[in-house]
Amino acid sequence: MRGFFSRHWYAYAMVLPAVIVTGVLVVLPLLQGAYYSFTNINESNIANPVLDRPASYEFTGLDNYANVLSGDASYGSFWDILLRTLIWTFACVGLHFVIGLALALLLNRPMRGRGVYRVLLILPWAVPAFISAFAWKYMFNAQYGIINQVLRALGLPDPVWLGQSDLALIAVILVNVWLGVPFMMMTLLGGLQSISGSLYEAAEIDGATPWQKFRNVTMPGLRSVSSTVILLGTIWTFNMFAVVYLITGINPNTRLLITYAFERFFNGASRDYAIASTYGVLILSVLLVFASVYRRALRRQGEVW
Amino acid sequence: MAEVAYVNASRVYPGSPPVRAVDELKLDVADGEFLVLVGPSGSGKSTALRMLAGLEDVDEGAIEIGGKDVTNVPPKGRDIAMVFQSYALYPHMTVGENMGFALKLRGVSKPDIKAKVAEAAKMLDLEKYLDRKPKALSGGQRQRVAMGRAIVREPSVFLMDEPLSNLDAKLRVETRANIAALQRRLGTTTIYVTHDQVEAMTMGHRVAVLKDGLLQQCDTPRALYETPANAFVAAFIGSPGMNLKTVPLTAAGAQLDGLEVPLPRTTLDKVGADGLKEVTFGVRPESLGLVGAGEDGMELTVELVEELGADAYVYGSVRIADQPERFIVRVDGRTPPALGQTVRVGLRDHSEIHLFNPETGARIEG
Ligand SMILES: Nc1ncnc2c1ncn2[C@@H]1O[C@H](COP(=O)(O)OP(=O)(O)OP(=O)(O)O)[C@@H](O)[C@H]1O
Ligand SMILES: [Mg+2]
Repeated sequence: MRGFFSRHWYAYAMVLPAVIVTGVLVVLPLLQGAYYSFTNINESNIANPVLDRPASYEFTGLDNYANVLSGDASYGSFWDILLRTLIWTFACVGLHFVIGLALALLLNRPMRGRGVYRVLLILPWAVPAFISAFAWKYMFNAQYGIINQVLRALGLPDPVWLGQSDLALIAVILVNVWLGVPFMMMTLLGGLQSISGSLYEAAEIDGATPWQKFRNVTMPGLRSVSSTVILLGTIWTFNMFAVVYLITGINPNTRLLITYAFERFFNGASRDYAIASTYGVLILSVLLVFASVYRRALRRQGEVW
Repeated sequence: MAEVAYVNASRVYPGSPPVRAVDELKLDVADGEFLVLVGPSGSGKSTALRMLAGLEDVDEGAIEIGGKDVTNVPPKGRDIAMVFQSYALYPHMTVGENMGFALKLRGVSKPDIKAKVAEAAKMLDLEKYLDRKPKALSGGQRQRVAMGRAIVREPSVFLMDEPLSNLDAKLRVETRANIAALQRRLGTTTIYVTHDQVEAMTMGHRVAVLKDGLLQQCDTPRALYETPANAFVAAFIGSPGMNLKTVPLTAAGAQLDGLEVPLPRTTLDKVGADGLKEVTFGVRPESLGLVGAGEDGMELTVELVEELGADAYVYGSVRIADQPERFIVRVDGRTPPALGQTVRVGLRDHSEIHLFNPETGARIEG
């Protein structure tokens, strides 16, 4: 053991700063949040040095979890929000993947001006998300937004997009798809380019149709790339706060787990840090379960990961 | 089973100037023949093979398989199987699935596929590996899987593009023999591309030599060796290569240093009619030998001796017209000369020489 440290002290010294920074910025808040979820902490009982008030919150065991998981409306109707979050996540990631793959396939074939198309299609990703979010918010404006102007010009109904209806959810899904496709497209394009051309030629000689080539060469060749981006995309989308909040604000029809935790933390009569933390821990648990199930499924398909 | 023909087929890549990768190739391959395409790197061997496979456009001329024009037929309609240099095995399929894939696409029933794959696996000694993925195989095993994938199809033509270049030297020799034996057994027309002239000489019924997209000569290995059609083929075939020197002509023959090689009257007449003052004189290392002081010969200064056991190759220089010219001589391996020594080298037999036109490189028949 001593020999091990004296031999490898340099490596440990080098990773130490990263370990400390990660510990302070990630692990400590995480542990603190987890601890709060077992208390009744809120704005009125937290320690307040300005008022010279000591902390008076108490340990309440699993009460928060019991309340939240009961699905009670005063604790945010957890199951309804979870369902909406799942719909949101799978709609977004599914569309990201399908559209991204389709564009990647188009861009992967030799054609004139390919470089220009690639740059244009990556642009949505290069623009800061909040700028795109505000731009879309104006475009969705019921009165002056370009979307409704076009719909009116075509003689189609012009709905209130961002009001208190499920249209708001559809609108934010559209925006998030628009924002997320470039990343999928670029990663999948990279994956496509790593598939050896001779495999396509071998399949061609073996008598494969274009669809059979796609099924037997392209999809298997993309498997490791796509399984990674789908996992990442799912986590990002599940926790996508900025787009939803910036476009619809606090709107029960676009309420997701992550936005509700935020709402609970910063809004309401008494800022309920305990319930917000409980939601945070539940989000983490859902994602952990998802990631491990997903990994197991991949491993069963023989993917080394 | 089918015969194959290139009918003045060309592949021209656009550009300025356009690249004629394969230039008016005219070649007939008989049914059941093993033809080797050989040439230096960039000579258009792969391109010619891919034209036959349908993976490359034919810009001029035509390709025929089994007497039918297939110039515009896609690969799947040509009834060919190809072994790629990289093997191009499907990485996510097992060995068995790889070999049966083409049959599966054709809608052959599962038991039939299984039987055919098992048969090919037995032939290639792959039975143990049928359930493995290509990743878990050695290079030689992958090579056999690639062969198996081609065999299972029972195509009318096999195409192979340098299938042995990823193997080590020993395995290459072994696999070379196996492929030749397999081809003899199956009797399938085979076109085999290689840049290795030893492979070409040992495997093919006939060998076609390409250079810059142009067919130089197509003949049996023996004929290529004994009567190369031009100086390029003479230098390319054989290892080490033929000694080729441009030397002045005299009234009676070719003048090399102290050695005047007499030429037959007919040859001299022909050369004279062409108005040549010089000829490119070629002689293989084994046609030269060490001679005694009194005999006709050239003074060779030994610069390098390559001992191969039975034989030794002596690399050295001779002064011809005051220019040092390099020569390679095969000598008895037991008594090689020492470095720096000067030895006398003579011709074994005056008929074992090759003469080429120094300008066109074409063979001058003697
Ligand atoms: N897309 C292309 N555009 C222009 N020229 C090309 C193209 N592809 C190949 N060539 C040229 O065609 C010629 C023949 O190429 P080919 O691949 O057939 O050579 P090869 O004989 O197989 O060589 P090697 O032994 O190195 O594999 C080369 O000079 C090459 O530069
Ligand atoms: Mg090649």
